[in-house]
Order: sequence, then C-alpha cells, then structure tokens
Amino acid sequence: MMLNFKDLSWSVIFIWVGLFTIGLFAIYSATQGPVAEFLPAYIQGNFDRQLIWIGISLAVLIGIQFISPRAFQALAYIIYGLCIILAIITIFIGIEVGGGRRWLSIIGMRLQISEFLKLATLLAVANYLTHRRDISVDNIKTALITVLMILVPAGIVMLQNDTGTALVILTLIPVVLFWSGLSYGISLLMISPAIIGYFSVIGLVYGIAAMIIITIIIFLIQSRTWLSLSSLVLGIVVIIGAEVGLNQVLQPHQRARVEAFVNPTLDPQGAGWNVLQAKTAIGSGGFHGKGFLEGTQTQLRFLPEQWTDFIYCVIGEEFGFLGAGSVLLLYVLLFLKLLSMASVHKHPFAQLVIVSVTFMYFTHFIVNIGSATAVLPIMGVPLPFVSYGGSAFLANTIMLAICLNLDLYKRSFSIYR
Amino acid sequence: MSHNTRQAQQTQKSIRILQAIVVIGFLVLFGRIFQLQILDHEKYEPLSQRNSIRMDNVNPARGLILDRNGTILVENQPIYSISVTPAQFKVGNLPLLAELLEMDEEAVMQRVLLAQQFSWHRPSRLFTEVSFEVFTNIEENIWRLPGIGHQIESKRNYPGDVTASHIMGYLREPTREQFLSSQNGESRMLLGDKVGRSGIEMVYEDYLKGDRGTNYLRVNAYGQILDSYDGGSLNEAPIKGSDLITTLDADLQALAEELMVNKKGGLVAMDPNTGEILTMVSAPQYDLRKLSGRIDNEYWQQVNTDSLTPLFNRAISSRQPPGSTFKPFMGLYGLNSGLITPNTQIYNPGYYRRGRQYGDLADPGNYDLKKALTKSSNTYFFWMMDQIASNGHLNSWSEKMKDFGLGVRNNIDLPSERDGIMPDSTYMNTTFAGRYWGVGDLMSLGVGQGMVSLSPLQMAVAVSSIANGGYKVQPHLVSAIRNSDNSISYTNPERHKIDWISPNHLRVVQEGMRGVTIEGSGRFYANLDNLGIGVAGKTGTSQNPHGLNHGWFIAYAPYDNPTIAIAVLIENAGFGSISAAPIAGLLIEQYITGQISRQHVKNYVLNFTPRVPVVEDPQ
Repeated sequence: MMLNFKDLSWSVIFIWVGLFTIGLFAIYSATQGPVAEFLPAYIQGNFDRQLIWIGISLAVLIGIQFISPRAFQALAYIIYGLCIILAIITIFIGIEVGGGRRWLSIIGMRLQISEFLKLATLLAVANYLTHRRDISVDNIKTALITVLMILVPAGIVMLQNDTGTALVILTLIPVVLFWSGLSYGISLLMISPAIIGYFSVIGLVYGIAAMIIITIIIFLIQSRTWLSLSSLVLGIVVIIGAEVGLNQVLQPHQRARVEAFVNPTLDPQGAGWNVLQAKTAIGSGGFHGKGFLEGTQTQLRFLPEQWTDFIYCVIGEEFGFLGAGSVLLLYVLLFLKLLSMASVHKHPFAQLVIVSVTFMYFTHFIVNIGSATAVLPIMGVPLPFVSYGGSAFLANTIMLAICLNLDLYKRSFSIYR
Repeated sequence: MSHNTRQAQQTQKSIRILQAIVVIGFLVLFGRIFQLQILDHEKYEPLSQRNSIRMDNVNPARGLILDRNGTILVENQPIYSISVTPAQFKVGNLPLLAELLEMDEEAVMQRVLLAQQFSWHRPSRLFTEVSFEVFTNIEENIWRLPGIGHQIESKRNYPGDVTASHIMGYLREPTREQFLSSQNGESRMLLGDKVGRSGIEMVYEDYLKGDRGTNYLRVNAYGQILDSYDGGSLNEAPIKGSDLITTLDADLQALAEELMVNKKGGLVAMDPNTGEILTMVSAPQYDLRKLSGRIDNEYWQQVNTDSLTPLFNRAISSRQPPGSTFKPFMGLYGLNSGLITPNTQIYNPGYYRRGRQYGDLADPGNYDLKKALTKSSNTYFFWMMDQIASNGHLNSWSEKMKDFGLGVRNNIDLPSERDGIMPDSTYMNTTFAGRYWGVGDLMSLGVGQGMVSLSPLQMAVAVSSIANGGYKVQPHLVSAIRNSDNSISYTNPERHKIDWISPNHLRVVQEGMRGVTIEGSGRFYANLDNLGIGVAGKTGTSQNPHGLNHGWFIAYAPYDNPTIAIAVLIENAGFGSISAAPIAGLLIEQYITGQISRQHVKNYVLNFTPRVPVVEDPQ
C-alpha cells in the first residue's frame, strides 16, 4: 500500500489545528489568567495537560494513517465489546468526580471511557449496517438490532451519570437509520419528539404549533395517513408528557433548571445564574471582544466549567463576534468537508462512519454552543477539539483520523466492495 | 449498474439533506451570536460591568453639633454591624456563624428567618452594635461565610452632661414619603439610612448629612473583593456633613436640665440683644441616648405613650396663659396708646368692679404703673383692659402684643413651634361661634389670664425687647455652620426696632420690673443684688382649671446692660415666685458668674415639690 500524503485532506487537518489552537487560548485564559487565584491547583494544570494530550493525539492521528481501512471493520465489534466492558467496570471502580464515576485510571492515565464508547458504538453500528441497506418496514429486525446496539452504551453512560454523552450517543439512532434508507417521513417522526418537546418547554402554544407543522411536513413527504396520524398521536403524547413531567415528575431543582432556560430572569441568583452569566459573557464581548485575558466574566469566575462546557463563552467574551463567528465557521466547514468526503466515497462502511462522526460532532456543537448562548437548556457537553478534556480530544481525534484514513484510501478501499 | 446509479442518487439526496441540517444549525447559532454580540451588546456590556464592579457606598460622617464655646454636644460613635443576604447564606454555616457571633444558633437562625421575610436578595442587618471582637472575628472569616457582610456604621453619641433632647432631636428611618421622594433627587436615600426626625437634626438635615461617597471595587462571582476598580480613580470620597455651631451654653444647658428634673414645663434663656438661645429645656425630657443606634423599642413605646408627653416640646409649643408676666407688655401698650402716663394713679380698693368683682391681692392704695408692676396689682391692669375693650381697641391691642412675638410664631429653627393665642375680634367671633361676647369676656386678658396662651419662647422673645431697648429679636439655635472645608457661614438673623416703643415708656416698665426683685414677689429667689447683679423680672401664676396653677417667671440681667433674658414656665407648681423664679435666678447666676454660690437655692429647686395653695397670694 502506497501512502500519498498529497491525497490527505489537509483542509480538515488545518481546521483541526485551528480549532484546538483557539481552544488552547481559551483554556489558557480560563485557567491560567488572572482567574487562576480562584481555581484549585489541579485545574491550573489543565492547559499543560491539554498540550500533552494534543501531542499524543497528533501521534495517534499520524499513526492511524498507516492502518488499512479494513482493519476498522475487522476490529469494530472487538473494540465495541471491550469498551462496553470497560465502561461497566468504570461504573463500579471508576474515579468519582462531581457525582459521577466516569474516569478509569489506566497505566496512570485518567481515561473517560464514555468518549471511546462513542467511537466504538459508531464503528460497530456502521459495520453492522454495511451489508444491510434499505431499512424499511419490511426489515424491522435490522433497525431494532441497530437501535439496541446504541441503547446499551447509552444506558451504561447514563448510569455513569453523564446525561450529555448519553444524549450524543442516542442521536446516532436517527442518523444511521436515516442513512441506511429509513424513509424521510419516519426519520422525521423519530426526531419529532425532541423538537416538539423542546418547543413545549418554551411554551405550550409553541409545542402545539411544532406538532402541527411536523405532522403536515410528514404528510407532504409521504402521503401516508397512518404515518401522519401516528405523528399527531406521538406529538400529543410528548406535549402532555412535557407538561406532566415539568409539573409533576421533575424535582423542583430540575424544574427550575428548565424554567431558567426559558426565563433566566425568574431566578437570577439561582437556576438562572449560569444562563444569564453565559449570555452576559458572550453579549458583552461585542464585535472585537475584550481581549485575551481581559474578559471580566471569565477572569472573575462568573462562569462555571469555563474550560469545558462554557468554553464558548470565554471565546465569545474575549475574542468577540470575530472569534465566536470564526469557531462557527470552522465547524461548518469541517462538517461540510466531511459530508462531501462521504458523498464521494463508494464504500458504505466509510460513508456511514464519516456521516456518523460528522453528526456526533454536530450534536456536540449544537448542544454546547446552544447551551452557552441559551438557545438550549444547559446540558453539559464539551465542544470537540476546543474544550479541555484529554479523553474527549483523543477520541474525537481518532474519529477524525479514521475519517481521514477512509478518505485517503478511498480508491483502494472501494475495490473491496 | 442502474441499481448503483439509483443508489448513488439516493446517497446524494441524503447528503444534501444532511448538508441542509448542518447549514441550518450553523445559521441558527450564527444568528444567535449576532443577536447577542452585535444587536444586544449594549444590553450585556453594562451587565458584565455591574457583575464585576461593585459600588460600595461610603457613608459620610454626620456633622457635629457644638455649643457656643466649641464644646461638642453631639458626635458620632462607630458601631459594628453584621448583615446577611439570605439567598447566598448557607444554612450549613450556621454553627460557624453562631460561634463567631458568640450567640446560640437558635437566636441567629431566627434573625436569618426574619431577614428572609424582608428579602432574599437584599442584605439585611443581622445584628447591629456587635462588639469589636465579634466584628473582627467575622471579618477574618468572611470568606467562609457567603452571604454574610460586615459594616462599620455610626450612631449619634452625646458626650457630657447635656442631653437637650428637644433641641437636638433624634434620628430614625425616613418616612415613606421622604424615602420615595429622595429617589428622584440627587442624594438618594438607601434602605436603613437614618435622617433627623425632630429638633435641629431635622431642620439642618441637609447640612448635617454630608455627601455619600462611592468606592468602585472589582469583585469575583463569589463577591470577594479583589482590588479597587481602575486603581480607585473613579472613587468618590464621602464629604463630611457640616458642623452646627449652636448658640447654646453647655454649662447653662446642663444646669437647666438638672434643675428641671422631675418637673413639667419649659424654659428658654436667650441673649436679649441677638436672639441667640442660651438654653432651652422642656421637661420631662426623653433620653436621646436610648434612641440612638439600635433603637430600644420598649423605650420608644414608653416615650410615645407616656401621659406626660415627653416628646412634646413645651418650651416652644405649650400654650399657657402667662398670668402676671403679661403685665409689663400691658403697661407698654397703655403708655403708647395714651391710656396712661407714667404718673397715672389708679386706686385699688382690693378689687376691681366691672359687672362683677375682680379680686386684687395687692395692698389697697394708689398705684402708678411702676408700683403696679412691682407689687403686681391687678386693679391697674383690669382698669386698662376695661378701657381697651370698652373702646373697641381689642384689635390694635392684639396687633401690638403680637409685635412682641406674643401669640405668633417666631420662626425659631426647630420644628413644631406653635402660634399660641393672642385674641382679637376674629378669634373671639370664631371661639364664641356667633354668640355674643363682650367686655366681661376680655377683662381677664389684662392680667394674662383667660384666652391668651403663650409659650416660654414667646415670653423670652418679648422680655428681650424690654431688655434691649425695644428691639424684636429673631430667636435661633444655630449661629454658624462650619462646612467640611472649615469655612464658616453665619446665620446672622437680624433684629428690628419695634417702632412704637419709646425709651421713656420702656424705662418705666424696666424700673417696675427691677422693683419686682427688690421689693416684689421676686425678692426671695430672684434677687442677686449681693452678687452685684441687678435682675429685672416679673412673676406670674396662671390659673389652671384642671389642677394646680402654673408658675411663670420672666427676667433679664444685668439690669443696666442685659446679657441674658429668660422665661420659665413650671406647670402645676403653684406660684411663679417660688417655682419658676428660683430656677431663673440660678440660671442667671450661672450664666453671668459661671458658678452657683447659692447652693441652698439649688437644693431647694432640686427638692421642690409643688404645694397646694391655701391662701391666694399676690400673682
């Protein structure tokens, strides 16, 4: 096998470098700036640790380019099984941090297994679906197994008290089923509860409007009465569920958090605090930003988790609309580039992997920045390549490296179809 | 191949949908940051400023109040208080807080709950006037106690023997109206601010309060203070309130207060030439010290409900008939109106008859004005009032009496001064409400009885005019205001000549009053001749249908060159000659000689108990 690095998708690598560079600036500002005096020592070391992880990741990224793409297919199930076992072990003997056991110490390195579980699940599902295309009502078994393959890791991550990551894994379901030929109408039906639920939380009227619009779209796509009807029923169930859930099931503090998202000014010192501070940080950044290490919200520690979940606020405050907009632009370029890779690839495994990776990033992107800008309730997921977090950075880089590898070998790989 | 083509088309279609989703997601977020950072930037910029910058109010020191010689009467004393913001307070910290406060948890929790009822998000005072040790303990541990704050505040302190409650006044929270109206003005009141609510603390509030300063501090999300914002360049130092230099004489005031203990009434002494109030007492007094700082609510209740109304300033607000102390002014009117001359003789058979018989306890015989004043013969003045009333001169008489400051407001710099009553025809019509009134209803006015009602302040102002040669003075308590930059502005109230008083007439009245302390009713307790001080005075006893008569004494001294004029009213104490005159005598002695040599008189006053009169005495 001849490696020709001219064929490597350098633009993707530049975007990767661009994102982690911005991330490094933001992490430095969030942990080493004047704010450092309010932070415990181990957090001040985040910047150095991130540098090390980037170094490791770079090595892994390069190394992966020398592996045959077939190896990913061959190892998919083994990796999947291994990661699930490790994740279960983590529940019992993991290092407890902030109410959840998510870290496993392996040869002195703290690893967040759930990050690798995402990767493993993605590979396994892609591998499983490679030879089973055209999922339809007739082939419901394939769909069910796929869903099960995703639900298991999502459930385990949930047990680790990591709702954010579980949510990201779950979004694989509509993506892979859609890609595997599930009709558009049903795909839309699958994600409709999330959309209707979101609007129901904002307001009952919005929820009903969303339900009606989705039902109409489904009817327009596939003129099947039963599908539209079930969309309507599902919509009503979601709306009622959201109302009941908000008022009856949720604990007051959880309810407060949801309400805070809708109206943070209700309780500016309590649940609405993070939402308000995040918006204030980004909004006060203005066009230019306040300058590196000059962000008052950041440096005075008004933001929680400002090196991970709220890192976008640091960028928004210190680098302004220019910085925040650049990050959005880099991401959308990355996503479109990856999608175009998938579209020109002939191998269904490669297509599935690249599309899944793209949407896994995309989910992180939407949820993280959506939380920081108060478009979505605060859910606590990191921003790929930007947020601090070694395991996440490594896992995300491995996914990117696999995409690059599949793209690099697309001619030779396609022969094996 | 066709299958492949169809599949490729399918793939392209799916890719386009996914691309659309990606682009829509991007656009939503891009629009959102555009909204936050470009459109709403002006809304969030000040929010972040406010977040990281805390404005700390620095309260200015309230102005001092000094006496005429520079003795401090009212000053400030630091007090330490602890506050709580319930929303930030963690109940888990209760044991630590209670330990630092040296109190039990139960008591602290109760105060916290009380604060919660007021507001969750605004700081409330948890405990005021804690000890310095407790204060420093809290200060050291403040970082472990989110939601707890500590402030140095100040309260009024009254060093020395002078209380002068009715002059100084107390500070309390502003009224709701005051508070609300201040919110639009330049100097906004804050919750918990105190303002003068009576006395000169109230009248001179704007001078005393000073200007609040502001410190701009950088804080973090935990409220920890980092440093002053922008090197403190924006800080505004508070401007100390202006000091009031009063006209009071601290020693005289202290003596007057001591002499008035266990009595009811009021007294005013002033410089007859300038109207400067040397001392002013209303008895009973309330204790200003108990209304300073942490207000003793029980005491406040007690003061408010006391039947002796200690909050009422009798020196400027009481309305009592002046009795015979009114006679000198009658005399001046008579001389001026041509009703009498200094030589006019009126025979006193022991009564005056007009419709009915009006008693006169002075020895029977002929009286001219001087003798009538010295011996306090009633007949002379009944006759005069008869002439005035019968000839329809009531209104011009009333006007001239008001020229002395009697029955009108004298605009002293204290709140709640009252007019009193100096009857004229309008007043009589109103009072009798359509019924007829006649000479009989006016007769007793001639001897200061009946409807005429005056305050000690009015009498002091009036007797000053006799002392100073016919000038109406403006009574005042504050002579100068010392600003924070040490510049002094004087109030300099003007006096003006009462044009109808002639020196010749005045001399007769002065001589009559001088006789009072030589051979009249003032000779026992108000004669200071053996100290070399000539006192001119007039006693009075005003009849009180509700109980014991009220005693009056007005005086000025030294006779030739008066430096003090005084009016004393002791309620329910019987004759003025034995109740009010000794007090006036002692105060004159103190003011002129600087000491009290007649200790027995002082003891007499201190142990004075009013006696029920057995026989009528000369009034």
